[in-house]
Amino acid sequence: MPEAPNPGDRSPAQREADHASLARLSDTLVPALVQKLSASGLGELEVREGNWRIRIRRPAAGAPAAPAARRAERPRLGPPHAPERAHAPERPHAPERAQAPEREARGRDAAPERGGRADGPDDRRAVATSPAVGEFRAGVTPGSRVRAGDRIGTVDLLGIPQDVVSPVDGTLVEILATSGDAVEYGEPIAAIEADPAPVAPDGADEEG
Amino acid sequence: MLSRILIANRGEIALRILRACRTLGIEAVVAYSEADRDSLPALLADEAICIGPADAKRSYLSAPALISAALVTGCDAIHPGYGFLSEDDAFADAVRAHGLTFIGPPSSVLERFASKEETRRLLATHGLPTIPGSGLLVDEAQALEEAERIGFPVLVKPSAGGGGKGMRMVRSPRELAAVLPICRSEAKAAFGDDALYLEKWLEENRHVEVQVAVDRFGHGVHLWERDCSVQRRHQKILEEAPSPAMTPAGRRELAERAIKAVVAAGYENVGTLEFLVDGEGNAYFIEINCRIQVEHPVTEMLTGIDLVATQIRIASGEPLGFTQADVAYRGHAIEFRINAEDPEHDFRPGAGTIERFNAPGGPGVRFDSHAYSGYEVPPYYDSLLGKLIVWGPTREVAIARGRAALGELVLEGVVTNAQIHRALLVSEPFLEGRFTTNLLDRIGSAAFLAAADRS
Repeated sequence: MPEAPNPGDRSPAQREADHASLARLSDTLVPALVQKLSASGLGELEVREGNWRIRIRRPAAGAPAAPAARRAERPRLGPPHAPERAHAPERPHAPERAQAPEREARGRDAAPERGGRADGPDDRRAVATSPAVGEFRAGVTPGSRVRAGDRIGTVDLLGIPQDVVSPVDGTLVEILATSGDAVEYGEPIAAIEADPAPVAPDGADEEG
Repeated sequence: MLSRILIANRGEIALRILRACRTLGIEAVVAYSEADRDSLPALLADEAICIGPADAKRSYLSAPALISAALVTGCDAIHPGYGFLSEDDAFADAVRAHGLTFIGPPSSVLERFASKEETRRLLATHGLPTIPGSGLLVDEAQALEEAERIGFPVLVKPSAGGGGKGMRMVRSPRELAAVLPICRSEAKAAFGDDALYLEKWLEENRHVEVQVAVDRFGHGVHLWERDCSVQRRHQKILEEAPSPAMTPAGRRELAERAIKAVVAAGYENVGTLEFLVDGEGNAYFIEINCRIQVEHPVTEMLTGIDLVATQIRIASGEPLGFTQADVAYRGHAIEFRINAEDPEHDFRPGAGTIERFNAPGGPGVRFDSHAYSGYEVPPYYDSLLGKLIVWGPTREVAIARGRAALGELVLEGVVTNAQIHRALLVSEPFLEGRFTTNLLDRIGSAAFLAAADRS
C-alpha cells in the first residue's frame, strides 16, 4: 500500500478549485455576510451553496464565541472526506485547528504562546497546526502576509507533503516548530496574528 | 529482538501490549488519536504521539499516519492489536516495505487467509471439517440457488471482517432477497468489501475456538480451546475455558486437528481457529483470526503463557521456545467483557466520564482495562471498557470468584453491561454449561435480566 488512500490527498485540479472557492468566499461572501449580520439584530446567519455551508454567529457579549460554536458544529461536517481546511469558511473566526494548542501538549514542546489568548488583543492570535505526523519543512518566514488557506509549510507524510495552512488572513509572527523536526498531528506550527475584523458602525464587538 | 514498538491501537489492548513490551524490556510508543489524548495507554507510555483526529479513518485506520509515526519516533516494529488494521495484508506489506516489522502474520499469510470462504476451502483440504456453505455470492438468483442447495435456514456472512456486522440469519428465499442488499452495504461500510457468502445455520450450536501459535520455522503448538457461546447478536460477551460442553478426548482431538491443519497451510504467528459445535459434538471450522483476540487472557490464565509476548517473539524471528508438552493447562477461567452499553436500552453504546472507579482484586482475578477515575469515555470507538478475567481450580470456584469480583467492580458515570454478567452467573443454562450462541437472543436480553432479578 505505498499510495495508501488519504482523504487529504486530492488532485492539483481539485486543490486549485478549493483555493479558488476559498478565495471567493473570503473575499466576497464572508465580508458581505459579516456586514449583514452586524446590520441586522440577528445572532446567527447561515448560507448554503453546493457543498459549502457558511455560518456566522455573533458572539455573546464579552465571551469568546469560538469554543461553543466549534463544539456545536463538530458533528455536522460538510462534504464527506473534505479536508479540514475546507471547513474553515464555516467559521472564519474560529478555525478548528486553532483549538489544538488550547489543550496540554504532551511529550513535545508545548505551544509557547499558551495562555492569555482568551481575551484582549491575543484574540487575534491564531495557530496553524500540523495536518499529519511526519517531518516538518518551513515555507513562509515570519513577517510574511498570509491569507486563510495559504500554505505556510509542509509536513512530509511518507514522502507526500501535506500542507500546513494558515487558518486566518494575517501576518505570520512566529514559526513554532523547527524545520526538519518530527511533528505530531495537531502540533502548533506557526502563530499568525489575524487582521482586525471590520469594525461595526455601532462599535460593538470586533467580530460583529 | 525488537527494541522499540509502535502500539497502533487504543484502549485496553494498547495497555496490554504496553505491559508485554515492558516485561520484555522493549520500549513502546503509543500512537493515539486526538480523542485518546488522555487515555491510560497514552499517559503510561514511554512516549506517545498523536497520529490524527478522532475519526479512525484518519488515525487508527490510516496506514500512512501509523507508519510515519513509527518512523519519526525511531520504532522498529508496529503492533496493530485487534480490529483496525490488524489483519490488513496491504498494511502489513507497507509496514515491511518501510523497513519495519509487523507484529502478526507476514502479509503473504494474511493474504492467504483474508477470504473466509477461501480459507474454509484451504483448511478443508488439510483435514478440517467445514460447515456446508456457498462460494462468494454473485447475484440474487445464484444466492437463492445456493441457499436452496444448503437448505434454509442459512446465515449470510461477509467474506471480510467479523464482529457480527453484515451478518443475518434468514429462513426463507424472500427474507434472503430482502437482506442481501443490507448485508452488502453493511459489509462495505465496515470492511470496505461487500463480498458475501452463505453458511448453513445450526439452530443450536456452541462457539469453540482453538488458540494456536506457530513460529517462522513451522513449529506450532495449540493452547487449547475457549468457549465463546455466550453471545448477543453474534457479539461475544463472556468467554471461558475449558469448554463445559466438550469431553477431554473431544477437546484434545479438536485442538490437535486445528494445529496440524494450520501448520500444514503455512500459518505463522499467534492465531485462533473458530468452530461451531453442534448438539452432537460435531465441530465445523468457520474462520481463522490472524491476530491477538480480545479473549486471549482466558488462555493466558489457564496456561501461564503470555500470548502477546509470544506474538512479539515470533515476529522478531525467534523460535517459539516451547513445545506442545510444555503447554499445560490448569483449572478454569472465565472472561467477562465490560462494555459501556446500556442493557436497559437495547445495549446502546454510551460515553461519558467515569466518576468513580474500582478494579476488582483477589486470588485468580485479573482486570485488563484502560478505565480510571476521571477518564472520559470517547463516543467514537467500540464500547469495550475492560475485561474481568477470573481463574479457579474448578469451574465452580471460578464462577464464585466471578460473582465476588463483579460485586467489587465500580464504574460510575457510564452505564455498563455488568448487569448481564451478574444475571449470567445465576442463570441455569450457564451454570449447567449448556449455553448456546443464540440462546440470549432467543430469550431476549430484557427477559433474561428480568428472570435473573427474580431468582
